[in-house]
Amino acid sequence: MAVKVLVVEDNPVARAFLSRVVRESFSDEILIAEAGDLESARRQIGAITSTGVPDTTDPFKLILVDLELPDGNGLELLAALARYPATKIVTTLYSDDDHLFPALQCGADGYLLKEDRFEVLVEELQKIVRGQPPLSPAIARRLLTQFRGNNGADAGPAPHPGFSSSKPSPLPRPAPPDHERLTPRESEVLTYLSKGFTIKEIANLMGIKWFTVNDHIKSIYKKLNVSSRAEAAVLASKQGLV
Amino acid sequence: MNAPVSLSEPFFSEPPIWQPAPKVLWRGWRWRVLAAALLLACGGCGLLIYQLSPQTQVDAQWQRSEDGQIELVSTNEPALKPFVGRTVIAMTSRNAGQPVVAPDAQALQRSSRWLVHDADRAQHLQMHAQLTEVLGHSDIGLLFDNGKMARLQAHPLGLTGLPTLFWVLTTLAFALFTVAVAVFLAKLTLLNGLYALMSLCQVGNLLFISVESALRLGLPFNVAQYDLPVRMAFDLITAAAVVHAACIHPNPVGRGAWIAGAAWASAVVLLGLHQAGWLSHAWWWTQGLCALLGGLTMWVLSVSYRTEPHPFAVVLRRFVAIAMGTWLLLSLAIAASSTMPELRHGVASMGATTWYVFLTSLLLLVPFLSKSQQMMREFALLAAVSTVAMSLNLLFVAMFSLGQFASFALALFLSIGVYIASRQWLVNQLLGSSLPSAERMFERLYRVAREVEEHPERTPRLLSGLLQELFEPLELRILNKACGGSRVVADGSTLLLPIPALSDDPQECPPQSMILRFAHRGLSLFTSEDVRLTDRIIEQLCRAVAFDKAVEQGRNEERSRLAQDLHDDIGARLLTLMYTAPSPEIEEYARHTLQDLKTLTRGLAASNHRLSHAAAEWKADLTQRLSAAHIELGWKCEFDADTQLNVVQWSALTRILRELINNVIAHAGARRVEVHFRLFNNQMELNVTDNGQGCAPETWSHGLGLGGIRKRAKQLGAEVEWRAATPRGILCRVVSRQWEQRDLG
Repeated sequence: MAVKVLVVEDNPVARAFLSRVVRESFSDEILIAEAGDLESARRQIGAITSTGVPDTTDPFKLILVDLELPDGNGLELLAALARYPATKIVTTLYSDDDHLFPALQCGADGYLLKEDRFEVLVEELQKIVRGQPPLSPAIARRLLTQFRGNNGADAGPAPHPGFSSSKPSPLPRPAPPDHERLTPRESEVLTYLSKGFTIKEIANLMGIKWFTVNDHIKSIYKKLNVSSRAEAAVLASKQGLV
Repeated sequence: MNAPVSLSEPFFSEPPIWQPAPKVLWRGWRWRVLAAALLLACGGCGLLIYQLSPQTQVDAQWQRSEDGQIELVSTNEPALKPFVGRTVIAMTSRNAGQPVVAPDAQALQRSSRWLVHDADRAQHLQMHAQLTEVLGHSDIGLLFDNGKMARLQAHPLGLTGLPTLFWVLTTLAFALFTVAVAVFLAKLTLLNGLYALMSLCQVGNLLFISVESALRLGLPFNVAQYDLPVRMAFDLITAAAVVHAACIHPNPVGRGAWIAGAAWASAVVLLGLHQAGWLSHAWWWTQGLCALLGGLTMWVLSVSYRTEPHPFAVVLRRFVAIAMGTWLLLSLAIAASSTMPELRHGVASMGATTWYVFLTSLLLLVPFLSKSQQMMREFALLAAVSTVAMSLNLLFVAMFSLGQFASFALALFLSIGVYIASRQWLVNQLLGSSLPSAERMFERLYRVAREVEEHPERTPRLLSGLLQELFEPLELRILNKACGGSRVVADGSTLLLPIPALSDDPQECPPQSMILRFAHRGLSLFTSEDVRLTDRIIEQLCRAVAFDKAVEQGRNEERSRLAQDLHDDIGARLLTLMYTAPSPEIEEYARHTLQDLKTLTRGLAASNHRLSHAAAEWKADLTQRLSAAHIELGWKCEFDADTQLNVVQWSALTRILRELINNVIAHAGARRVEVHFRLFNNQMELNVTDNGQGCAPETWSHGLGLGGIRKRAKQLGAEVEWRAATPRGILCRVVSRQWEQRDLG
């Protein structure tokens, strides 16, 4: 049976290009559905049960979502598909963490930068599907801050909105459950990543295997997803997406 | 009365400076005791008035006549109307067996405490004893100098008959009593006890004067006989208590216990001698000892100030000096006029009364020195000047034989001159409010605001500089803990204020507070006006910074919007162009343009980049691109300080690096690239070396790529050169010798 892929992208040229990247990346028989905006994307995906699981026997296995769409933001779709059992990839021109981090929090399994060369994109896509998501230094930094904040111990008081120096500091947040905390090894990996080290260099520095480092990265991704599902919903609603 | 408001903090307390003063809990027993004390005082006053109102008196105004007799000035009594302007020769009661009194001017003299000569006092006592006897009956006969007898009924005083002076002095006494009790209850210390003691003595003095002023002729309750010993005790106890207080506050003085003991002993001995009847010239002894104790207090305060320059010592010393000066002047004037009976009773007793009112106002002022309002200070000053006026008046009359009116006018004129001349000086010296000029203040505030806005972490240093200039404190410290709000503590010697957190990053600005001690090089106290001024300065600073931040935020938003638009519109088109490029060269060109656009928009959106963060991104970017081209990257980044790169520095370095790597990938055919970035001692050096086939860079044509690199290097104030590397390849070197100077781009 053909593998179903959904490409959500408003620019038809880019859509065609991405479809080519998808076909090139996998040896399976591929059935690509295309959508130019959120509405048609939702139509293509069809009904989803209240638990977020697709109401069909043949769901999409891979979904590429552009962030800027004519009728909304791709984050909206990602948030809605939080429990959808597909590999979700953000395709964007924005490589900065301000744009990518919320996407990862909303449940994206990785991101592709649209200006990269065809071969680079094919390689990156294969890596993501294999479970080697990219992690730029800026995003690693954001992740470190995020988890540090969640860990409570290092959480400083909220930034001062005004100048009243006598403002009481907020109560420390309760300690998060284990699955939301980083292990020391994961923290170490993230710290190295934030300094621009490659996975290979990190493996050398930490004296572990390459794929162990990669496992740590995968696990960090998972934790980010799990921990921030509720947060993602909040975020999405804050941005007027849901 | 603002006592209850100010009572939230004890006045005479010694809280450790670096801790907030312990709050006195007024909820419990203190309120109850204070209420009980005030109720008791009200009851006492009521009882006094109740006892005074049935006292009988003749409804008439008297004055001293030329020959030392008393003359009827005016009256509402019909029987006396024909005798206005006549002098009284004798007074008697109609009852048989009553003595006949021949009243003279002594009858008008209120207090025996302020009679200089013992003989006069004895006469005064005898006169009043007889008068009390006579006036105790309702039917009174007055024999005038024309030989005629007036018979009349003496009326009870009643409530309305009490003179205004009585009410004023009683109210003042009540106020002083309230403050004394409140201060004592605020903190039960020896010092507050001494304050309460001297205040209660003055309350006694005021009550004596007010009771003595109730009747126009004669004294109620036979009070004359207690007047000297009790009021002498009041004055001596006050003087000794002042010495004692100076020995323990603001700083304990070495051998203070001995000095205080000596003061108390001298007072007790004098009182004992007088009580035993072994003391002649009691007035002289009392005045002398009080003056001596005043001088001792000034000396003790000077010693105390040398130990630690607490401005309270200076201010107290000035108060004591002024009080002493007026005391000596008054004593001198009364002594000089003692031989002139025509002066004694009127002006002398008024002079003494004014002096007590002045002392009372000083006592009322002392606990509230740092909180006092302008009005209270002016009142004290006026009372002092009035005392001086009275004394001068007496002196002029006594020494230059001027007429009553002339001397009074002259004294008044002189005193008002002294008052006007010294008012400003005194107010400044007593409590210090000399400010730098408003213009300078504005300028400083403006500069500090600018600097604080750029470097919020420097707030404490800048603010302390500003306050240093404003208050010239002897000591200024910054504490790493919050304090509730600005306030004056430790008797006005210390100003405590919170440092505003002007940074958004709480890590950068932990809660801090500032302590200023001993304003104006230890010469004046901090006042509530200083607190208000400080609050205003901080408020203005916060406002200026908030305004700057708002402006900066507006700029940032505008830049971000511009970046967003550029990115969305031009970026999407370039992307389409790239996807549909007819040749790989054009595709690559469009890709580079797109990357440049992204660098540009990122530079627009973010104002600063930390060097370590930027380096990490450069490395990740280069690694990805070089690994796609199967070229190895050797990366080395060293710096002595992780500085913030501004937009120009960040975008120039980003683009130089990208362009150099593009060249390597496209033309060099290298297997490895070494990138070495160094930033030490404000000198930046970037080396990019490949091991490709490039050679003889001096012969290269300056295409778009090389020109772009030169342009970016120029923006950085850097030089760029290419040369052949050994054994093969090209080395590109970008060097900036003045890195930070060009940080404004």
